[in-house]
Amino acid sequence: MDEYLQAFLLFWLAGLAVIVGLMLGFFSKQSAIRRFGMVLMVLGTLSILATPWTLSFSPSSAFGHFLGSILGPSVLLGVGIYNIAFSGHVPVGRLTEGDRRAGFGMVLIAVLWFEGMHWWVLTPTYPDEINRYWLIFWPTLLLVTASGSFVVRYIVKTVGDERNQEQRLLLTLFALTALLVVLGLMRNGPNVDATQFAQEFWLAGADVFGLMVGAAFAILLFALVLTIYESQQPLPKQLDPPTTQQLQEAAKHIAKHVGGVSEDE
Amino acid sequence: MSEGSETNKLSTLLLTTLLIPGVLLGLTYGLHPDIGEGTLIRFANSMLTSFTMISFLLLLTLFVYGDARKRPVAPFIGMLLCGLFGVAMSIFFLSQGDLLMEENGSVRAQALTNIIRFSTTVIACAIAAMLVLGMLFASLMHTPPARLEFEEE
Repeated sequence: MDEYLQAFLLFWLAGLAVIVGLMLGFFSKQSAIRRFGMVLMVLGTLSILATPWTLSFSPSSAFGHFLGSILGPSVLLGVGIYNIAFSGHVPVGRLTEGDRRAGFGMVLIAVLWFEGMHWWVLTPTYPDEINRYWLIFWPTLLLVTASGSFVVRYIVKTVGDERNQEQRLLLTLFALTALLVVLGLMRNGPNVDATQFAQEFWLAGADVFGLMVGAAFAILLFALVLTIYESQQPLPKQLDPPTTQQLQEAAKHIAKHVGGVSEDE
Repeated sequence: MSEGSETNKLSTLLLTTLLIPGVLLGLTYGLHPDIGEGTLIRFANSMLTSFTMISFLLLLTLFVYGDARKRPVAPFIGMLLCGLFGVAMSIFFLSQGDLLMEENGSVRAQALTNIIRFSTTVIACAIAAMLVLGMLFASLMHTPPARLEFEEE
């Protein structure tokens, strides 16, 4: 098969299947279509994950390798947080104390795994150099986590009532990620030196701000398109005002149900 | 609550959102002043890709909107035009020599690199959101339920 066609089918079409599957899976009202969407998403993801073997000639396969590299710690992090959250005060389907401890273990392993990818020998390498998508991912994750935890702490402080524990937790997360950024900027890792990390962190800032501005423009245009469409719609048919007889009937019903409490009740 | 204090809170929230990235990026530049090459190109590529991709994603959500509004064609066409406008802008700027081109040999290669880089950034943002909101949710779930205390009659 032609290399371009192979890359189109196994990578780009698979990527499209992931997006369409995600949208169908979350937004469709029919359960059969939702299931079909989920299957499409899983197949697309598997196809992208397999690209280091199926499309080894294509530079796009580095993305498949990157996804495979972060899959383990990301799943551990997600399942760990789920276990911790749902072993708390939930009314139905509460998980056990053992699940909670397992959740803490999973989160700890996930954090150490991610750290090992920067500070130890676990750095994703493909084919014989550091995976360039890892160099984009790690600084972006640190930047967004630090900023996000600080912003969410501010929101909790403003909106929440006596939520000191949550504020302390978010502040700790912020301090930890900010410390990791500062360490990355000052100390060389075994595979990524401080200057390279600084360059990538700076460009991650450009990526994130670009993403935010582009997304804001798209959402504004979306709102504008819908507003214009809705404003052009004819007004719904106005009902005639109620007649005296209808008003009297309504007053009778209201008096029957909204009266004061009688003494014998 | 007064409208003025709501506006103040919103502007403080906006400032808080910009504060931490600003401080961390400022620190980065302070420690490594020789970085920064290609920042504007990266920002512009990210912005155009984000605009185009999110326009198309919003276009897909119009199918859901269509279910509730007897499948109108006008907003669908409007959003399709927005997405196509983003694609046209990207191709136009990418084909203007070195204006938006990085280390790629062709416009198509640069556009595909932009899409993969956008996906990487989105994945990083999603994992960061899972971490921050997940920790907040877990902490909220472990707070003992509040007891209602009634005054003695």
